[in-house]
This record gives sequence, C-alpha cells and structure tokens, in this order.
Amino acid sequence: MLLEVVDIAKTFVLKQGWPVPKLVEVRALDGVSFGVDHAEALGVVGESGCGKSTAARVALRLIEADRGRVTFDGRDVLGARPAELRALRRRMQIVFQDPASALDPRQRVGAALMEPLAVHGVAKGEEARKRALAILDEVGLPKTAFDRFPHEFSGGQRQRIGIARALALEPDVIFADEPVSALDVSVQAQILKLLDDLKQRRRLAFVFVSHDLGVVRHFCERTVVMYLGRIIESGPTGEIFDAPKHPYTRVLREASPAPDPTVAKAKVAIEGEPPSPVAPPPGCHFHPRCPLATDICRRDAPALRDIAPARRVACHHAL
Amino acid sequence: MSAALSVEGLTTSLRIDGVWRDAVRDVSFELARGETLALVGESGCGKSLTAMTVMGLLPAGVGRLSAGRIVIDGVETSGLAEAQLEKVRGDAIGMIFQEPMTSLNPVLTVGFQIAESLIQHRGLSRRQARERARELMELVRIPAAAQRLDSYPHQFSGGMRQRVMIALAIACEPKVLIADEPTTALDVTVQAQVLDLLGSLQRDKGLGVLLITHNLGVVATNAQRVMVMYGGDVVESGEVGAFFANPRHPYSRALLAAMPRVDRPTADLSPIPGQVPTLADMPEGCRFQSRCPLREEACARRPPLTPLRDDPRHLTRCVVTAREAS
Repeated sequence: MLLEVVDIAKTFVLKQGWPVPKLVEVRALDGVSFGVDHAEALGVVGESGCGKSTAARVALRLIEADRGRVTFDGRDVLGARPAELRALRRRMQIVFQDPASALDPRQRVGAALMEPLAVHGVAKGEEARKRALAILDEVGLPKTAFDRFPHEFSGGQRQRIGIARALALEPDVIFADEPVSALDVSVQAQILKLLDDLKQRRRLAFVFVSHDLGVVRHFCERTVVMYLGRIIESGPTGEIFDAPKHPYTRVLREASPAPDPTVAKAKVAIEGEPPSPVAPPPGCHFHPRCPLATDICRRDAPALRDIAPARRVACHHAL
Repeated sequence: MSAALSVEGLTTSLRIDGVWRDAVRDVSFELARGETLALVGESGCGKSLTAMTVMGLLPAGVGRLSAGRIVIDGVETSGLAEAQLEKVRGDAIGMIFQEPMTSLNPVLTVGFQIAESLIQHRGLSRRQARERARELMELVRIPAAAQRLDSYPHQFSGGMRQRVMIALAIACEPKVLIADEPTTALDVTVQAQVLDLLGSLQRDKGLGVLLITHNLGVVATNAQRVMVMYGGDVVESGEVGAFFANPRHPYSRALLAAMPRVDRPTADLSPIPGQVPTLADMPEGCRFQSRCPLREEACARRPPLTPLRDDPRHLTRCVVTAREAS
C-alpha cells in the first residue's frame, strides 16, 4: 500500500458551557485504519461529525494524532522530523470543498501555483512559470488564467485552480475533502471527469471524503463508512451500496434517493439525528438508533471483522 | 376547487448594470391542493427567483414582476400593495429556506416566534397562541415540544431548526408552502425525515408544496410533478413517472446523464459542455442552444412549450424533441 493508516485516534478537548465553562472531550477518531494504493480512490463516507474530515487531516498530520501509525511509501509520517515531513508533504496534498476560502484572494492564480514550487525548492523563475502553465492546461484552464485573481472565476473553475495547486508538486496521493459538494451537477461532472483522468494518467491515489454516495460510487473503487469516529463497514463501493452489511450503511443508502420514481420510497428507517461525539453512547455507537440492537450492542463495541472477501463490518448482527 | 397557486405568464426582470433583463420568462403553472410540484435546475436558472416573485419578496429597484398573474388560493396577489400582500403571505402561503438559522430570530425563543405569527394573523391571545405553537411543534415531530418552546434557535440542531421553520410556515394553515432547497444543508438521514414530514403535511393537510431543489433523486421520490428550468425558461414539465422514464428536453437528458448514481454503476459521466451564459449573453430563442447537441436553425426562435401527442401533460420547450415525440 502506498498509504497506510493504522488505528489512529484523536480526542479534542473543548471548553463548553456558560457561565461556567466545562472541559468536554470530543472523540473524533477512535481507532481508524485504512489504506490506499496508486491509481485508486478510497471513499470515506458518513454524516456530519463522524470524523471523516479529521481522519484525512490526521493522516496528513495537519492535526497530530493521539495514537496510531501512518505510513506513506514505507515512511513513518507521524514520527517524521520537520525536514522529513516537508519532503513527505510534497507528495501528499489536499483539495478542499470551498476553494475560494483555500486560495488567497489577493494572489494571482499563477503566483498561487508557483509558490509551492518555490517553497519546496522545486523550480523558480521561468521554469516555475512553465510548470504552472502546463498544470493550468492539464486541469482545463486557459493560459490567461495565470494573471487573474481567484474571484474572477466561477465555482467550478475555482475548484480547478484548487486542484491545479494540489498538483503543482506532483504528489502521489490527494486527500479530497468534499471536492464537488458545492458544485452544480453539470459542473460536478466536469470536475469528476478531470479527477478520473488524473487518477488514471498520473496514477494518483485519492482519499475521497464525501457525504454524497452517488459521487463516491462513481469515483471510488473502495469505501469505508464511518459513524461517530469509527469505521463501521468497508469494502468495494458497489457491493457496499448494493448489499450493505451494517444497518447504518443500509440506512444511509436508503436515505440517498436515486433519480428513479419506480423504486418505492424507503420508509424512514431511523428517527433522531447522529448523537454528538461529545458523549458517544457505550457499546456500539449506533445502537440507540439501530432497529436490530440487542443487549450485547449496548455493552460491547463490535470489532471490525472480515465477513466476505475484501469486506469488513463492525456489527454484532451483520445483515 | 380552485388551485392552491396559479401562475400565468410570470416574467421577472433584474436590473444588472442599469439594464433590466428578464431572468424568468413567461412561467406558467398550477399547483393543486395536496400536490407536490418540484422545480429543478442548476444555480441561476431562475427557480428561487420564481419563488421570490410568487412570494412578492423581490427587492425593490433590483427586481420586478414585469408581466404575469399570480393567484394564491383564489386571490390575485400580483399588483397588491405591500400591506395587503403581507396578509396573504402569512395567511395563504408560507416559505421555508435552505438555512433556517438566517430566517429565525436568534434572540427570541422559537415558541415566541411561532406564537407571534398567530397573534398577528389570527388574532389569538398570547396564551392561545402558545398552546397552538406547542401543537405545531408536536405536528412537526419535535420531541419534548412543551419544553422546547422556550429554547432559542441556536439550541436546536440543523434538522430540528428546519422543523421549527416548517412549524412557523404552516402556523396559519396556508394552502401553499414553498420549500426552497429545504434539505440541502442537512445530512441524508435527516433529509429523509424532513422530506417525510413535508410529504405527510401535503397529504394530511392538503397543502400544495412547491419543492425547489437541485437534487433529482429528491424529485423522483417526493414529487408528483416536475418542472425543469434553464436560463429562466421552463424547458420541460410533466408527471414525475413520465419525466424520468423518458425525459424530453435535451437539457433534462444532459442533467440526468451528468449525475452519478447511487443505485448503479455509472461508468461514463457526460458533463454538459460549456457553461450557462450570463443574463447579458443569454441567446434569444432557445436558451440551451449554445450547449445543445441537437441544435438546428429553428432554435434561433424561442420554441413554445409543446405538449407531447401521447401525453398532453408532458411538455417540452424544444422543437427537435417535440417533433421526435409525435
């Protein structure tokens, strides 16, 4: 595996309450493991607060983990010293949902693309300019974009700039955090096509965080489903969505309507909203909303176990 | 029984750089009681603007109703003065938005906000209004409604806040509810719950729901009829079953082909080439012609919204596909 994340955990400590604030612990990640290889996309799905974005940030070491191991191309990421980490970061990049807030509004696109090249001592001057123009072309932007500012572009084009900037250092893996969620369907398709193309041509690995199961099904070969800081199911994307083994995955799938009125509308399977990660319920985190829950679910957290070739599920009563 | 909402030839213009341009052109539809009609399209297609025009909420000096008639529950509202319009808005039509936090007052309890509209529009006493507010919060399935009357909006989750908005919008038992992307900011399991609630209000209370969304999956599972907008024009309308079985307008087809599907593998996505033209560059005639694979000479003139011969309730604004159908 190009990138391997093993058993990472992260608890944030927040001050909450008024007038007397109390310290509360938020268990954002609780023993999460995944891996991804060249020319492959791993989908990370789940609802708000499930820890999917934190998992990506911990793997990139934008947030320090409490425990666990991240190995990239055989090298230890979490233990890397600053110089070593900087070298690793060149090869691990991130694309955000809202490129407008990730780009400096006062920096021209060309400068934004050449800056990482200079920071990492890859290229400068005319060479950097040539590279930046080549990347603009690769992501489908005109050469004239070089001298313009981010605000002059539409949402889809701005996401192309965000992708171009991530590509500038020729990374091996890209963490994409809801990269197409803010875009209209027709523009979303353009960006997905571009990402597809990059995955094949550059043999890029993707960790693709999204709440949109349709987008994940299209782009990701494998998927992990998260719920309150834990992975509850993993496997090939098509299999997971067509025949979910975890009751939560099934709920998620049935709540994501397909554009097909001939399929009977699924009854709303669960009431309530995801509980807060501040005080996750004991045992299986999903048990208060689960139709299959029994005593053991309230007591013991189920381990992620193999259930079929390449498929794993964390449920005492897997479907 | 008259329609809950009837719109005829509605044209909305926006002033951009000092020039008035039509951003919504000649839109006509009827919304029956107990019906959900979905209005779909991408950003800037005019779907929200249509809703704002119906609500009489166009910002003066920037937007105006240039032509058309709006009849809400038998009362023509186009041309009414603001004071009279205010009455219709609370009484006969309600609206909910994508982000409920921006529509709720953060410093007032939700119970007060719901009660306020009942006192204003229904002349209830404070006590009666509070009692009714509690019933409404139960109706929209907010747990422990009696206690939560005294909570502030920020103490609710996103899904619960949207329920509060719905309670507020239906407080005076309107005939029409306009829901503008009501679930776009919500997680899918919560989205399913809110849509389920809207569906039961539509059925049990005979509410006419105009559901504005960009999500075709939501349309397929929650509406009876659908209208697709592009560049300010309604380009297709029909029953949901017929529409998804055989979309007729090239834009509708392109939209469906561009959408990755959760229920089956989509090996090939077909992005729609190019971009939506700006209002200033919008072509005369068919608005979609600059991106359309079927374009021909006749597209230079504005095509009429034509009923299909085999299904007169299914209409397409395309000379090419209207011909192919008959």
